[in-house]
Amino acid sequence: MNQKHYTLTIIFILCFCLILMGCPKKTVVKDEPSAKSEAAKIEAERLAKEKEREAREREARQREEARLKEKEKEEQAKRELERSLVAKKTPGIEGEVFESSLLKPIFFDFDKYDIRPGDAEILKENAALLKKFPHIKIQIEGHCDERGTNEYNLALGERRANSTKQYLIDLGISKDRISTISYGEERPFDPGHNEEAWAKNRRAHFVITAK
Amino acid sequence: MKVFGTLLVLFFSLTPTVEARVYLDINAPTFVQIPIILPKWKPMEKTPPALTARIYEVLVNDLYLSGLFKVIDHSLLPYYLKDKEGIPSMLSLHEWRVSGGELLLAGEASLAGDGLQLKLKFHLIDLVEQKHLTGKQYESPLQNLRHLVHRMSDEVIFHLTGEKGVHTTKIAYVLRQGESREIWVADFDGANAKPITQNQSINISPAWTPDGQRIAFTSYMKRNPDLYLIDLNGKQLQTLSSSPGLNLSPSWSPDGKQIALMMGKEGKSDIYLLDATGGNPRRLTRGHGNESTPRWAPDGQQIVFSSDRSGTPQIYTMSIDGSNVRRLTYEGNYNTSPSWSPKGDRIAFCGRVGGEFHIFTMGIDGSGLRKLTPNGSHHESPCWSPDGRYIAFSSTRLGGGPKIFIMNANGFNQRPLTSSKGGEMSPAWSKRFE
Repeated sequence: MNQKHYTLTIIFILCFCLILMGCPKKTVVKDEPSAKSEAAKIEAERLAKEKEREAREREARQREEARLKEKEKEEQAKRELERSLVAKKTPGIEGEVFESSLLKPIFFDFDKYDIRPGDAEILKENAALLKKFPHIKIQIEGHCDERGTNEYNLALGERRANSTKQYLIDLGISKDRISTISYGEERPFDPGHNEEAWAKNRRAHFVITAK
Repeated sequence: MKVFGTLLVLFFSLTPTVEARVYLDINAPTFVQIPIILPKWKPMEKTPPALTARIYEVLVNDLYLSGLFKVIDHSLLPYYLKDKEGIPSMLSLHEWRVSGGELLLAGEASLAGDGLQLKLKFHLIDLVEQKHLTGKQYESPLQNLRHLVHRMSDEVIFHLTGEKGVHTTKIAYVLRQGESREIWVADFDGANAKPITQNQSINISPAWTPDGQRIAFTSYMKRNPDLYLIDLNGKQLQTLSSSPGLNLSPSWSPDGKQIALMMGKEGKSDIYLLDATGGNPRRLTRGHGNESTPRWAPDGQQIVFSSDRSGTPQIYTMSIDGSNVRRLTYEGNYNTSPSWSPKGDRIAFCGRVGGEFHIFTMGIDGSGLRKLTPNGSHHESPCWSPDGRYIAFSSTRLGGGPKIFIMNANGFNQRPLTSSKGGEMSPAWSKRFE
């Protein structure tokens, strides 16, 4: 019976040992997957960085593309402006100016020089164009219809040109970029002698003096 | 009484027995022109008849343009008078009474000095009283034929009214041809029209210097309406004022020392004074109005101008320091381009009535308003002759653009100055060139 007990004890011990031994073994087993995940993490980080870089690159590319697109757009606008320009030389008047269909004229009521509400929108568009091309300088020509005395009409044209100039200044355009001239009734747009022609002749016309 | 020489005084002294019949105030609405007969001129010695025919033509036109006379048509004369030439003898004056003329103006011409020197002699005769009124002889190089006849016409008018006519004056104006506006000058009768500027630019608002030697005007040649001075040959050009904006509508002070004008220095038109050389600008008008067309009073102390400070353009006067501003017009909503008469008693201006522009005159306090131009077309830019008997202006009545017209200051006898093709605007009347 003692032998039995001894054996049992050994077995027990052994088992205990086994248990004890199994524990460190278990830790080792546990240690192995931990190393693997570290690597995965590094990999993931690398991937993330890669992704990030790619995203950055993509973004940069997109930015560049956008920039190029913008530049192209600008170039296109510039070309469009260039294309719209018509050089205008007048006999007996010094220098050369350019007319552009992109700078739209505005019109006035008889004997008036205030900007009509509808024409304020046109002036905003003209101001936007001037902001887009900060190097160009313009001259605003004030014109009148043929009715009334020539000299009074020249005063009225002066006022029309200057009220238009003030409106553009209020929209943020530098006054140094805008000069004015009154032609009174001396340069009608439409040579007719009726209200239809007169309405077209009471105008502020824009020309480009430096591009 | 010298103003608009009422013929009453003259005829009273000349022909007291017929004073009631010939009472004539040339500025009255009921003015009746004096019937005058002009026998054909007599060519003396070897003078070609074509020459006397030319003299006769210029003379008859002068009398017609003066608005004082009704020149009797030769086709209405009895056969025995039709071919009579030269100055009739006092004994034969009664023959001419049947012509219906109250006055007779006759003359003869001859050539001297190798045919290059012209001699003229005229007699003015009162047929009612059968009396010699005046007569004179002239001599001058042949090329001055027109000028000599004009001086003769002025002398006739001087004798009848106490003030010379204006046949030796000139009128400057703007001629519009296509896009160009050039300054031109023509004689009072429309002859000798010639350009003073020829630069194809916009050349406008001419104003004679008081000595009649040069013309101030505005030109766009430097792409700004600048003020220039030019001589009558169009050769000597001088810049007077080139401030950015308007330098427009000059008017010389009677002493020739200052120029009133419109300037756009402040972004709108104001009235300024300049020295005669163009410097030292002094602003006379302030406030928000558009101020235009300043014109000196003949006393040199006041300026008449147009301003829309009340909302619509109206006529105002002010002292030459800008004080004592007085509004003269209250009728109508568009009264512009005033002009002060040389006698100082009236102001002519352009006013709009029912969509048409017309020439008006009024007293210098705005009273006695008179419309002078007929309905149916537009009339602008009145200016006075130096004797105040006539007003030049532009009228669209002939169609095809405005033309310079001349009328008596009461609106009678309106006729075009020239027969040019282009549009004519902004007349300015010179002094007499004697």
